Amino acid sequence: MGKVPSVLEKIRILGENSKYDICASTASSRTNKYPKLFGDSKKWIGATASAGICHSYSPDGRCMSLFKTLYTNKCIYNCKYCFSQSCRHKMSFTPEEYARTFMKLYSMNVVEGVFISSAVCGSADDTTEEMLEAIRLLRFKYNFRGYVHFKCLPGVSQYLLKEAISLSDRISINSEASTKEHLAEIADQKDFKNDIIMRQRWLKQIRVKHNDETLKFMKDLKQDNQLKYQEAMIKERREDGYKKFRWDGAPILNSGQTTQFVVGAAESESDYDLLKRIDWGYKEIDLRRAYFSSFIPIEGTPLASKQAAPLTREHRLYQSDWLLRIYHYKLKDLKEILTEDNNLPIGDPKIHLARQYFKDHGPVDPNLAGFQELLKVPGIGPISAKRIINLRSRKFKFKRRQDLKAVGVVLKRADPYLLLNGTNQTTIQNFIDPNNSKFLQREIV
Amino acid sequence: MKKEINEKDPLQVVGCAKGHSHEELIHNLPRHYNYTPNLIQKIKEIPEVILRNSGTLIAKKVNRMMREVTTEAYRSKQFTRTEMNNRGVLFGVVLLKHRVMDLVLKYFHERWPECIICLYNEHSGKTGIINERGVIQEIDSTLKNVVEGVSKNHSVIPYFDDIQFSGREIFETLYKSQFISERENQNYFKRMIPDKCFELPGMRGGVEKRFRNKKINDYL
Ligand code: SF4
Repeated sequence: MGKVPSVLEKIRILGENSKYDICASTASSRTNKYPKLFGDSKKWIGATASAGICHSYSPDGRCMSLFKTLYTNKCIYNCKYCFSQSCRHKMSFTPEEYARTFMKLYSMNVVEGVFISSAVCGSADDTTEEMLEAIRLLRFKYNFRGYVHFKCLPGVSQYLLKEAISLSDRISINSEASTKEHLAEIADQKDFKNDIIMRQRWLKQIRVKHNDETLKFMKDLKQDNQLKYQEAMIKERREDGYKKFRWDGAPILNSGQTTQFVVGAAESESDYDLLKRIDWGYKEIDLRRAYFSSFIPIEGTPLASKQAAPLTREHRLYQSDWLLRIYHYKLKDLKEILTEDNNLPIGDPKIHLARQYFKDHGPVDPNLAGFQELLKVPGIGPISAKRIINLRSRKFKFKRRQDLKAVGVVLKRADPYLLLNGTNQTTIQNFIDPNNSKFLQREIV
Repeated sequence: MKKEINEKDPLQVVGCAKGHSHEELIHNLPRHYNYTPNLIQKIKEIPEVILRNSGTLIAKKVNRMMREVTTEAYRSKQFTRTEMNNRGVLFGVVLLKHRVMDLVLKYFHERWPECIICLYNEHSGKTGIINERGVIQEIDSTLKNVVEGVSKNHSVIPYFDDIQFSGREIFETLYKSQFISERENQNYFKRMIPDKCFELPGMRGGVEKRFRNKKINDYL
């Protein structure tokens, strides 16, 4: 019989096996307006901060704020990109070990919460049952009421999902690929429709049902002052079907559901395929956000000889995701800047979109432009655009570049697209192509 | 910070980026080490919209000062390394230039409501204490003495007695396990850790001062 690995050994191996799983820090602030998820008592340990608190950074700049390890690395699947094919040291935590190790780290203030993920040992239900036991211990033995991100395993039963939802702040199911065909290319044992999409839909249904019931309960309590806002936050949608408020303060699963893709593992998968899938996710399953993880070949796996996906591709996907979610761009806008092979062009997608838009419309005057038009200017984000509009509504006039700088506009990016006091900052483009430059023509006029 | 939703004005900036009101500034600026009372007079003369949106240089300065105060408190919450003894006393060392000890203590109190929290401020040489009832005290004494003093009155709570590894060992192992060499980004890594955080007492052991799992000192 082999030696039983120590807790440290488990953290080392299972932590390393989980390092490609991506999670944000704690994007979780539980509302006080609903009945408390775990009741109100002094016995509860831990809290969730509204802005994520990062307790440390790894050498690649990623913040480390969660206790992120696999629960077990024994797996019945053999996804082509995954460590499980090459890792020879197979081990699992016990629920008690997992919970106590986390509590120790929490008492040192080096982690903010838990990210529990796992390979599939035996069956999805068996492993999920064990993971849930660890979380139950954390919640009800160690009284931890802080942040928990629970990773659902493909094909898990609905009753386990329900329990996971009731114990966690955030749930995610890894999509890995954007379509059935692309998933089959890298993980042929997984059933895209049944194991993943159906589970994602269940998550939404369970959350919506619970939130509706809670809203009804609150109506009965006649606490409708806050309720009006709460209802709007949970239910209102933008024209394009995305949820209007990203942080909706819902009573369960307050950080929503997320998903993750392996970028560049499936040969034929384009950026457009991925963007289409996340656009669907925002509209149909109330996805809170998507994570992209560039494919990195692992020695000993079938894809070991495949080239790693460039990290810039991942970065551009994040930028585009941001444009969809925060800047309210439509998928069709992004489609217009794609290259022939349906990938995003090199460089910031917002600049590509701006070049296209302002080529036809000319630079904008921040004293006249509307909110959406300001948002199209690189260097102006939602916050600085709101500030500009706010100041203007109080008769403030932007005359100097410093005024714009003071409200947070990044001038070096915004300059080519702005018109201040009737003039536009000269750019090299004015010299290169004077005939085509509408900006220059304006000045001359 | 609670988010406000104003139906009449959907463009109103909410959250941290909304800036600070007169009241918030008047209440919190005295925490800044460089605060002078005539600053309050100046603030009162600035219209709120200018203040909130950093519309003038003085508004910008005031907001910067406010940011320095909140950043210091925030960083201390992030990077203070604490320990817990077997009597339910949580303790650590901080370096606070501004008067934000109460904010940091309250943060830890919210997380560990049944513990006594002791934080030694290296800047002032005093130890801040918050008890189970949330009462804050500042004592002119070293951390060791204070922790010993408050522990005496508490019974033994064998909270983590059966964990055979030190917390530091566990964290070091977790930290190393998360490193992805293909993603190494030295510039970004350095940028993400503000210089002043290297001065925080909890960081001096060097858990974050490292690159490629070596401490930065190994390179110097
Ligand atoms: S399910 Fe696939 S990706 Fe997940 S651990 Fe198993 S082999 Fe790896």
